[in-house]
Parts: sequence; structure tokens; C-alpha cells
Amino acid sequence: MYRNQYSQQQRMNQPPRVLSTKDDAYLTDALSWELLAAKKAHSFASQCSDQQVKHQAEQLCELHQQHYNILLNHLSTNQQDYENQTYPHFHN
Amino acid sequence: MNNNRGSYGSYQQGYGGSSSPTIKNPSTQFEKGPEFNDRDRLNDLLATEKWLTDGFNVFVRETSHQDLYNDVLHILNETHHACRDVFNLMFEKGWYSVHPEQPSHIADHYQKYSGHQNQFPSQSTSSYNQYQTGVGQHPRDY
Repeated sequence: MYRNQYSQQQRMNQPPRVLSTKDDAYLTDALSWELLAAKKAHSFASQCSDQQVKHQAEQLCELHQQHYNILLNHLSTNQQDYENQTYPHFHN
Repeated sequence: MNNNRGSYGSYQQGYGGSSSPTIKNPSTQFEKGPEFNDRDRLNDLLATEKWLTDGFNVFVRETSHQDLYNDVLHILNETHHACRDVFNLMFEKGWYSVHPEQPSHIADHYQKYSGHQNQFPSQSTSSYNQYQTGVGQHPRDY
């Protein structure tokens, strides 16, 4: 039955822009990694006496915060796209 | 980040032991005791970045849709660059040394492995490949 529905659709050459359960699991994992890394770098920066090491740690903290935001964005935009039903191949 | 620093100072070409020279900068002072010092902190940050590249390498391989793939690959790439910056800083501080291989060994290996090129199955000599960054399905080059 599912297969019949499927064959009537145009064939997809790659998955649609839908977050899979696996994507969601990895995203939430990665968000935790980035937050931990940012906090660690910030904490180290405050403890460093060497200015170059301190600067490097601060840079890393910023980088991981940026990465956190990039990843988080995937959780919010995906939600909006679902609501707008922009996926012609998506079946419930 | 560390790219445009000035001179790394002169190399110490210490010949420790037989025939293996060591390339390293003079070591920057740090507390040598049981307390967690600046060198330990930098080492720990490097370990963290390395660990992150492993995680994101698996993540990017498992992603489904293209936008997520692009972003995760971007993050993986930047995390590698961060690793590299930390590594370079460790070297600059004189906390990491490099041991060059003997040129004769390298020459031997070049000889051996250039000989294996005649085992290549494909006759094509084109330098084009579809996986180059910025070609075809790979819209962003980093």
C-alpha cells in the first residue's frame, strides 16, 4: 500500500529537507558538545596566565557558541517548514 | 587566529641521540607541578577539539538532508581549523616538537610507491573530479 502511494510520486533523487529522527538525535547531542566545549574554553581562559593561551581559549569559546547557533537553527527552521508544508513528498 | 603571527624564533636543531634531529621552539615557561597549568589547559582544549572532529565526522556522514549536511560539514571543517590553531600554538610555545624522517627513507618510499602507480586500473588521466569543492552537488567550498 505504502509502495503504491510512493510510486505515484515523482522519484526523489535525495531526501527532502526533513529532519529525520536520527538528525534530531545527533543535533541534540552536538548541541551538548558545543555548549560543553564553549564553557570549558571560557573557564580555561579565565584561569590562564599566558595571554596567547588565554586569547586562543576565548576564540574557541566564541567558535563553539557560533556552532551552537548554527545547529540550533536547524531545530527551529525545520519546525516552520513543516507548518508551511513545503515538502511535496512528505507523508504522515 | 594564529596565522599571521610573526617569527617563530630560531629552530633548536638539537641532535638527541643517533641521527634524528628535533625541530622545536624554546619552551615557554609554565608551572611545573601538580596543579593544572597553561600547558595542560591548551592540551585539554586540543583533546576537546580532536574529540569534536570525531563526533562531527560521524554526524555529517549520517545527516539526511542537504542543508544540514552543508552546515555540519562546515562545522567539521572549522573544528579542524581550530584544532590546527591550537596545535600551532603548542608548537609556537615550544611545547610540541617535530622529528623529521631521514630523507633517504623518504626517497626509498617515493621510489617504491611511484612504482605502484602502474597498478592503477583506470586509464583516465583527467584531473577533473566531481568531488572537488565547489563542483556539482557540493555547493559550498571551505
